[in-house]
Amino acid sequence: MGRNIFRRRKMRQESTEGESFSAELGTDLDKNLQDLQVMIGSPGDLVIRRVTLGVNVNAAVAFISGLSNKEAIHNDLIKNMQRNREKEAGSDTPDELLKQMQLDLISIGSVENTNSLDKLTIDLLSGKSVVYVDGAAEVLLLGTEKWETRSIDEPISESLIRGPREGFVENLQTNMMLIRRHIRDPNLRFDTNEVGRRSKKKLVVCYMEGIANPDIIKEVNHRLSSIDMDGAMESGYIEQWIEDSYLSPFPQMDNTERPDKVASSVLQGKVGILLDGSPFALIAPITIANAFKSPEDYYDRWLIGTFLRFIRYIGAFITMFLPALYIALVSYHQGMIPSQLAFSIAATREGVPFPAFVEAIIMGITMELLREAGARLPRTIGQTIGIVGGLVIGEAAVSAGIVSPIMVIVVALTAVASFTIPLYSVAISFRLLRFGFMIAAAVLGLYGIVLVYIMINIHIVNLKSMGVPYSTPFAPTFIKDWKDLVLRGPIPMMNERPRNLQPKDKRSGNLRR
Amino acid sequence: MKDFKYADEKISSREIMIALPAITVGVGILSLPREIALLTIGVDGWIAILIAGAVITIITWITAKLAASYPGESFLSYASKLVTKPVAILFTITLILQSLLLSAYVIRVIADIAKTYLFDRTPVEVVSLTFLLVVVYAVSGTRAGLFRLNMLFFPIIVLITFALAMFSLGWFEIENYFPIFKTGLMDHLKAAELSSLSFVGFNVLFFYIAIVKDTEKAPKASIYGMLIVVSLYFLIFLVNLGVFGNAVTGNLVYPLIELAKEIEIPGGFFERFDSFFFVIWIMSIFNTVAMSVDVSIYAFQSILNLKKITYLFCVAPIIYIIGMVPEGALEVGKFGTFIGYFGIISSSSIAIILFTISKIKGGRNQPNATK
Repeated sequence: MGRNIFRRRKMRQESTEGESFSAELGTDLDKNLQDLQVMIGSPGDLVIRRVTLGVNVNAAVAFISGLSNKEAIHNDLIKNMQRNREKEAGSDTPDELLKQMQLDLISIGSVENTNSLDKLTIDLLSGKSVVYVDGAAEVLLLGTEKWETRSIDEPISESLIRGPREGFVENLQTNMMLIRRHIRDPNLRFDTNEVGRRSKKKLVVCYMEGIANPDIIKEVNHRLSSIDMDGAMESGYIEQWIEDSYLSPFPQMDNTERPDKVASSVLQGKVGILLDGSPFALIAPITIANAFKSPEDYYDRWLIGTFLRFIRYIGAFITMFLPALYIALVSYHQGMIPSQLAFSIAATREGVPFPAFVEAIIMGITMELLREAGARLPRTIGQTIGIVGGLVIGEAAVSAGIVSPIMVIVVALTAVASFTIPLYSVAISFRLLRFGFMIAAAVLGLYGIVLVYIMINIHIVNLKSMGVPYSTPFAPTFIKDWKDLVLRGPIPMMNERPRNLQPKDKRSGNLRR
Repeated sequence: MKDFKYADEKISSREIMIALPAITVGVGILSLPREIALLTIGVDGWIAILIAGAVITIITWITAKLAASYPGESFLSYASKLVTKPVAILFTITLILQSLLLSAYVIRVIADIAKTYLFDRTPVEVVSLTFLLVVVYAVSGTRAGLFRLNMLFFPIIVLITFALAMFSLGWFEIENYFPIFKTGLMDHLKAAELSSLSFVGFNVLFFYIAIVKDTEKAPKASIYGMLIVVSLYFLIFLVNLGVFGNAVTGNLVYPLIELAKEIEIPGGFFERFDSFFFVIWIMSIFNTVAMSVDVSIYAFQSILNLKKITYLFCVAPIIYIIGMVPEGALEVGKFGTFIGYFGIISSSSIAIILFTISKIKGGRNQPNATK
């Protein structure tokens, strides 16, 4: 990254030839301020406030107005500098003065000093303020970052009936605070990295030392260190950069807005990744079973949790197979449909000019269109679209003889079923795979469906998430983990962490009777 | 399980235990009840299954024991120690051939059955080809992945078998079992011989035990694995005979699938359960073929180090062509019987020969082989 700034600086040097730009921090105040302005192009939000210290020593404070806490700068910095001229006069050299200010005068928590223009610029652009003193070789960087943020809100994409109402926000510090409030343990680690050539955003890897398997952490860090891109706008960039297979339809990391979910995953031995500016945290490694787990399973009593999981597995089955089964049964294996149902299907399909496959594709695409339109529009209009689409198009299509009523049932059921899957990214890939199943069913009937099913299984057993097989704990089998798979065992029974993550500390509690 | 050892290509003895039934249970059992019923009277065929099962289990144990006494060594390496390298290569090629022929036979049978029960107009060639392509896709992945696939599919197979047995209870008539113990000794032996053909597949142990982590547990695991097969066959035979009786079973080409056709699933979702049953059974057949092809690669690589993909592209067309050669059900049946005999005789004799020699040489070889 140093190289980039250097390059930019060189460009500047060329463009501002004759203005005598210097890349190093000098001792002359005017020259330093001029260099800074040249470096970042004297933007409108750069504030430079000159002050006189002690016995006529020139000094200046620079900060970016939108990114800094102006109150702190006014009250704790500039005011203190101006009101203590006698004290300041006691220092002989500018360097001594700087030291004195740092120790004695400035009442702001975080103070650093530096003599690097690069560091100064980046820190300034991330909200710190800079104190220059004429004649001093170094400058002070003060931690005055503050900007407008969204307040903590209920997570929109993952609403629960029962559970904390807090969701992550765009501010990294706040997000870390939200996790810390769930886990007050000295072993909770937040390792800070920086990503993006240009964006230079903070990225935090969050895990429990002594629980998470060190190899997983090593793997995550190794992959994070390989990231080289201009900017990461959202944690999705990070996810796509470090995932195991970009050809896979399945997400290999979980993303969530819920601090409680990150906290519980971290306690299981997983790793959370938080990116500044994104309310979505990543959780890795995950397995296919995670697609069917929701935090709510654990908040309700175990019987309810188990029931909900069953429903989701059925939902996934319907999402993927139902339209394909319909196509296969209607076009190849009519003999398998109970005779009375077969007659009624045949009767309703009487006027429909298309084969079942075309019918299913038309309705499937219509459904996806409606969903996408609903997601793009403002929420109130989105609902209208749902009603218009669901009722009007469905009803009209049937009476117009384009599709059969059974097909409408199939598509509606598929749509509803697909929304039961808690992981949005998995739900969408299931819906995508559904089209694959439909094509297979159109070509080879049930046989095609089972072949595609086998192929998906082949893919899953070969897929890994951070080195952990995607098909655990089904295979490689960890029977002990099955307590929290389709079944969600009673909380007192679940006193061991998932074996498939090979945690260092296996037990999470003891059952005492 | 102390370290993070997912990435390596090792398997556990439990995976061997599941791999055995996964590879053995396939197309053989679909027609086995008929073959036994033709030779025996009443329900007496169960004796044949048990005899064949016992013999095969013993041979399986011998194979596993042999391979396990050379932990981490490939078949070629330990066989070379016992019976010179050329003979070892000959053995390896025999086993490769056996696996390839078995795959060819299975992809042919699956197409024939699909023609009977799923669609009558789709050509056999297409059905076989698509199946083979999926197998190629599976084998081109990791070997550990294949074992995981066994673990995923096998429970489904067991479940559907039990479900079938449960639903059959309504059609079950105890009179169908009589008369009992009327079959002659020779017929029993002949039936046992025939049923042993459905146990082909344990030759994978020669090769796969080398990649088992806990080698010392492998022989026991293989016995359990084979016992699962025997009990599954036993159950299927008893249910089949109980529902159809000896005479009818003897006349059905695939009695197991016909069983699924006969019964009715409560709830009336499926008019005909047979297609559905066969479709599920395809997963088991798939495991058979995928494991056979993979073991042939593994064996071949020990002789000549060829890239997996290259080998696959060479061998897949051969399997396909061999599978398409037999014409008509009769020839396919003959082909199957031939492969059964070839497989059972070659792998049993290789196992017994090597085991005997290793026992004779044992005193000298054992210390450095098993520590």
